[in-house]
Amino acid sequence: MVEFKCSNVAREMEVYGYDSVVKSSCRMCHGGCGVLVYVKDGKVKKIVGDPDCPINHGTLCAKAFGSIQLAYHPERLTHPVKRVGPKGSGKWERISWDEALDTIAERILRYKEDYGAESIVAGYGTGRDNEAAVYRFANVLGSPNVLTAGHFCYGPRLATTIITCGSNPVVDYENQPKCIMVWGNNLVFSNPDSYKGEPFSAAVDGGAKLICVDPRLTRIAARANIWLRLRPTTDAALALGMCNVIIEEQLHDKEFCENYVHGWDKFVDRVKEWPLDRVEQVTWVPKEKIVEAARLFATTKPAAIQWGVGVEIQANLTNNDRSLIALMGITGNLDVPGGQVLFQTPNIRNVGTFGAHGMLSREQFAKRLGGDEFRLAARFSIINPKRVWDAILEEKPYPVKMLFLISTNPISTRANSTEVYRALEKVDFMAVSDFFITPTAALADIVLPTATWLEMDYVADFWKRHGYLVPRRKVIQVGECRSDHDMLNDLSHRIGLGQHWWPDFEQALDHILEPNGITWKQFKEMDYVRGEVKYHKYRTEGFSTPTRKLEIYSTVLEKMRYDPLPQFIEAPGSPYSAPELYKEYPYILVSGRRIPVFFCSEGRQIPVLRDLHKDPIMEIHPEAAEKEGIKEGDWVIIESPRGKIRQRAKLFAGMDPRIIFAEHGWWFPEAKDPNRGWQESNVNMLTDNSYENCDPAMGGTAIRTLLCRIYPELPLGGRKND
Amino acid sequence: MTKYSLIIDNEACWGCRTCEAACGQEYDFRTKFMTVTEEGPSQGDGMTDYMYRVNVCRHCDDPPCIPACPEDAITKRGDGLVILNREQCSGCQSCLEACPYGVIWFNEPDQRALKCNMCHHRVDQGLMPACADNVCLAHCIYFGDPESIQEVIERKKQKRQTK
Repeated sequence: MVEFKCSNVAREMEVYGYDSVVKSSCRMCHGGCGVLVYVKDGKVKKIVGDPDCPINHGTLCAKAFGSIQLAYHPERLTHPVKRVGPKGSGKWERISWDEALDTIAERILRYKEDYGAESIVAGYGTGRDNEAAVYRFANVLGSPNVLTAGHFCYGPRLATTIITCGSNPVVDYENQPKCIMVWGNNLVFSNPDSYKGEPFSAAVDGGAKLICVDPRLTRIAARANIWLRLRPTTDAALALGMCNVIIEEQLHDKEFCENYVHGWDKFVDRVKEWPLDRVEQVTWVPKEKIVEAARLFATTKPAAIQWGVGVEIQANLTNNDRSLIALMGITGNLDVPGGQVLFQTPNIRNVGTFGAHGMLSREQFAKRLGGDEFRLAARFSIINPKRVWDAILEEKPYPVKMLFLISTNPISTRANSTEVYRALEKVDFMAVSDFFITPTAALADIVLPTATWLEMDYVADFWKRHGYLVPRRKVIQVGECRSDHDMLNDLSHRIGLGQHWWPDFEQALDHILEPNGITWKQFKEMDYVRGEVKYHKYRTEGFSTPTRKLEIYSTVLEKMRYDPLPQFIEAPGSPYSAPELYKEYPYILVSGRRIPVFFCSEGRQIPVLRDLHKDPIMEIHPEAAEKEGIKEGDWVIIESPRGKIRQRAKLFAGMDPRIIFAEHGWWFPEAKDPNRGWQESNVNMLTDNSYENCDPAMGGTAIRTLLCRIYPELPLGGRKND
Repeated sequence: MTKYSLIIDNEACWGCRTCEAACGQEYDFRTKFMTVTEEGPSQGDGMTDYMYRVNVCRHCDDPPCIPACPEDAITKRGDGLVILNREQCSGCQSCLEACPYGVIWFNEPDQRALKCNMCHHRVDQGLMPACADNVCLAHCIYFGDPESIQEVIERKKQKRQTK
């Protein structure tokens, strides 16, 4: 009888006649899964998971299987181009790397001289693991302005955890939590940071109790012991209500709260503002369920909260994050085995050091766009995007003359796409680095062809907080494509800042790893390196905060003149804060429901992925659909005061009938028009980027929810659905 | 003779569709032989009836598609694999109607039926079928001896405390 075993590498090599197999780290999402890349005749032929990788244990998601079709895509940009027609005309001419980088360098030097380095804004998205290099580039240049998703995605979790407990606590799946509360996260579909869906799945199969906090039914919610179906954006009220139950019933960890929490009494007073009747009224969650969930979470040890971006992209995101940290803390689950752990990265030059934040002068730091208003964000080098559009369009507080957008598509992924488009149209000079001519790249002066994860060496995702370091190894070269890291290294030499970079980027990797006593060449022979795993570090060292305690009462926020305690604040543009608007726009739209096969605005041109999800889908409750005359599969117009888009209806009963769910990130690479249909189904045509609609501390734009109206695209009789 | 089965623990499936993409990769992205579908919910709190199902050939003990095929293009091997030989297929679609699970498809471009042959080209070489080779993040796709698989699934069901 044949002995079958999983991931039989030797047999795969033999049977398929591959030339080699390379271990690497996938980057089709926010990254982290170990992979095995099989190569034949110099081409990647197969990608499977690496069973030895502690992050995914050999399993993958659909996106990873899109890597080959991404790398060899016929429409991929494989050499630099410059625009030769008007912006958006789709007319390009091939140029050399030298011409491209020299042109960009000349512009950088000119704008720096004439308008200051702050007039040059660098930006990145989430898909290329280049943030440390982009920040280094901007900081060395002297620009305080790096445009990222950090204002409303992950950045807030980092900032709030750093000021509250010193670092981002990660669920310790390896020590089998007994209760997992999944809050605003669908990690089996999405792109979770640190650990992935597999260890979570194994923990649930291993008997962990499950609580799910989500306005929409997911399979996680369906499998949960308790599902709390909250009104979108009421997370902080629900969390404070749960804290209230826990403290009132004396279920909190008294020893921890007495010794390791700063501002305990004040926090107790704050949660008393949240009796269950009020919480039920605000959140739409029946109070019995809140009590049940609070008891289960507080009495099952160890327990942990698996949180996600659902908690963020809201106007109250700093409070949301901090009220969840409070829940982790008061139940005694911080830094305990199987709970929520402040893992230590191996001793390397970390992402902050490599990002050269220390090199930005005080004078330039003070010029950070919006720094005086979004003060917590400014501390973490994060800016609000509208500040950049304003600086381009109105030249206030100073003109921004150049955008250097490195794998980001803000026309699709930032609020108020119409304004983003106007800013990109107006900006004096724009360079973009990407795989394709995206709707954003269509407005660029120069587009550089960037490398996929298969085409680069890197210390993969060394910003992550699970304590592991995994090598990403270069497998192939496609055309003239270069990694963003390598490109920025080269460009820095051309603007006279080469002394802060390296002759080539491999030495940068050595520089990152040096404190660990290894070189890149040694590291790439290893599976991974892990930092020292220590629990209960606060007992000996305290938390890494100003008071050395868990700062539920934040001295940092207090100094910045924000409420030092977590609080619920009703979102702008909700049925309660805007009742008049609600009469005209009678549905709550929730944007950004996760699609398992796409990462943000990427992947629509990858056949294996697009075949699995062809159209942008809006979900509507059957009762609401009947009322609005909408049938399954109809194209539906979704309209807000700012614009309208079309998405295809899916009737879905697993949510409150007052809510609509829409997808984000849609554009149509297959469209003939060079603008690739960026307006058609793009949810950010509807979102509001006004400053009133932003989190006051992080500047996070609240695009998670808005009020909308809906109607069939073609009413009665004129149904045309393809 | 050893029997091989491909068994799905649908209760554990999260609906992530990785198996579909992994299947596609094995066939050079030209085709795939499985689909994940969503079931329910019938109502808002549909915690009992909202789930995903991996639809793929069951390789039945007594496959109704075999007698339905006028070309004898479908056969059951001694090890349990039900194989559709596409060379012999005339495209009459009788097998599609005979299959109680709806897991035989009609491929428009070449006008022939499509179904999972349990990666027999891999199995015969001692390799697991692509979808069952540790790709599923829920570990819900099993390949091997049907009885021991059922035991594992049953043990997991006992351990899960969430339902």
